[in-house]
Amino acid sequence: MLEGRNAKNPEIIGFACSYCTFKASEMAGSLRMKYPDGVKLVQVPCSSRVDPAFVIKAVFEGADGVFVAGCHPGDCHFIKGNYFTRRKVAALKEMFDTFSIKDKLHLFWVSAAEGRRFVEKVSGMYNEIKEKKNAGKTN
Amino acid sequence: MQGKQIKIDTIKDALNEFLKDEQHLVLGFETSKDGVRHRIFKSSLEHFSLLNPFFDVNGALYLRRLFSRGSQIILLLRPCEIRAYSELVKLNQIEREGITAVSIDCFGAVSAKDGENETLADVDQPKDYFKDTEKMRWTCLVCRERRGVVGDAGIRIGKDGTIWVFPYTGKGENFLSLLSGELQEAVEMAIVEHAKPEKFATDMTEFAKDISKCILCRNCKAMCPVCYCIDCVFNGDEYLPKGDALLNKVFRTGSTDMPPGKELFHMIRMYHVSQVCVGCGSCEEACPQGISLTKYFKGVSERLQGMFSYMSGRSFDEDIPYLTFLEDELKDAED
Ligand code: SF4
Ligand code: SF4
Ligand code: SF4
Repeated sequence: MLEGRNAKNPEIIGFACSYCTFKASEMAGSLRMKYPDGVKLVQVPCSSRVDPAFVIKAVFEGADGVFVAGCHPGDCHFIKGNYFTRRKVAALKEMFDTFSIKDKLHLFWVSAAEGRRFVEKVSGMYNEIKEKKNAGKTN
Repeated sequence: MQGKQIKIDTIKDALNEFLKDEQHLVLGFETSKDGVRHRIFKSSLEHFSLLNPFFDVNGALYLRRLFSRGSQIILLLRPCEIRAYSELVKLNQIEREGITAVSIDCFGAVSAKDGENETLADVDQPKDYFKDTEKMRWTCLVCRERRGVVGDAGIRIGKDGTIWVFPYTGKGENFLSLLSGELQEAVEMAIVEHAKPEKFATDMTEFAKDISKCILCRNCKAMCPVCYCIDCVFNGDEYLPKGDALLNKVFRTGSTDMPPGKELFHMIRMYHVSQVCVGCGSCEEACPQGISLTKYFKGVSERLQGMFSYMSGRSFDEDIPYLTFLEDELKDAED
């Protein structure tokens, strides 16, 4: 189920809120900061638009990791969206933990001004997964 | 606790009186020579049964999209059915107006698939159904709430075999007033609270093995009382690929099992019902392949509900966790 084509280079799917994290990724681009090619972003109108079904599907279609990213709590464009996101993703993590695949899912907050934080977050996640993958530890 | 001690005939008489009104209905159990089944009674009760030792479907399934439109309906069902009803009320799938939900102490149930059911129907004392628990469904053995303590009122069985009725809401009070007798201090009950469940854990290998026989008929979804979306994500080919989409998937990810996507289907459904699953085992009853689904659905949902100290259907007043939040919580979930 989870064998990707790229044995060594992880593929990461990130769901990024268009008001903050996605903007941060654009800012990182305009500042010529690099982040790994294997990170593919899906722009969503709000992190709470991410039905956990999307995340589960991404994992089953071979993603080595998935992240959901949005504005910091309290800063949602839709006022409360990211609070709901946090509950949903926390529960999804618990479910992944039940199936011993918790490592595959990450949740973080990156505001539109935090281009550097965006690069650090996704690179960190990418490298961690890559290391485990090359050590043959991921399932 | 104060309640009314009654006889089974007291309930039957009261319900028959209630049913004299054209607009009044009772959803409960009926005995027949083939066992005990759900029935909606109008005008009068025939072969009414307070308890049902056989489980086929969760009665709340029949209530989805129910708006009573002026009629009065009394539900007399098991705790897992009343809990599902209560979740559906919170999800705006049932209009609570006009409905009085009464939960009845449950001594567990055997699968309706079990051919030897008939013998059980002859037992007079409900407590004696399961002297020998061997036949009882697994999900009933580990049921978290068999006590009739949910809904508007509860019918409970005392240790000494006496029958008691307790009101929990205003509607419950009204129900109680239909029954003759005085309020008095109750005896000790036969069924007590269940201990907290153990934390369920598994892995993808075990899961894949258990699910491998699945033919994706989706009966489990159709018979789940709380899985109610009209437009399910699995209605199209996006999530369960066929034809070109299937080949694309194979080229993209390597090989695939057949039918493709059954683990995906169950994982997504498991998440979608995680806050509202009542652990009734309807899904498992419905499965023609005999897959032990409840182990996963119940196990996962108990963990996910536990995170929010929630229990599906325990009360009308607790919000479903995904529909609310606290500003300061779950810091551990953030990376
Ligand atoms: S799951 Fe619980 S309430 Fe439902 S039939 Fe079994 S024991 Fe009774
Ligand atoms: S998932 Fe299964 S156990 Fe849970 S409510 Fe639905 S039918 Fe009942
Ligand atoms: S009822 Fe059984 S065979 Fe049918 S989809 Fe559900 S698990 Fe699969």
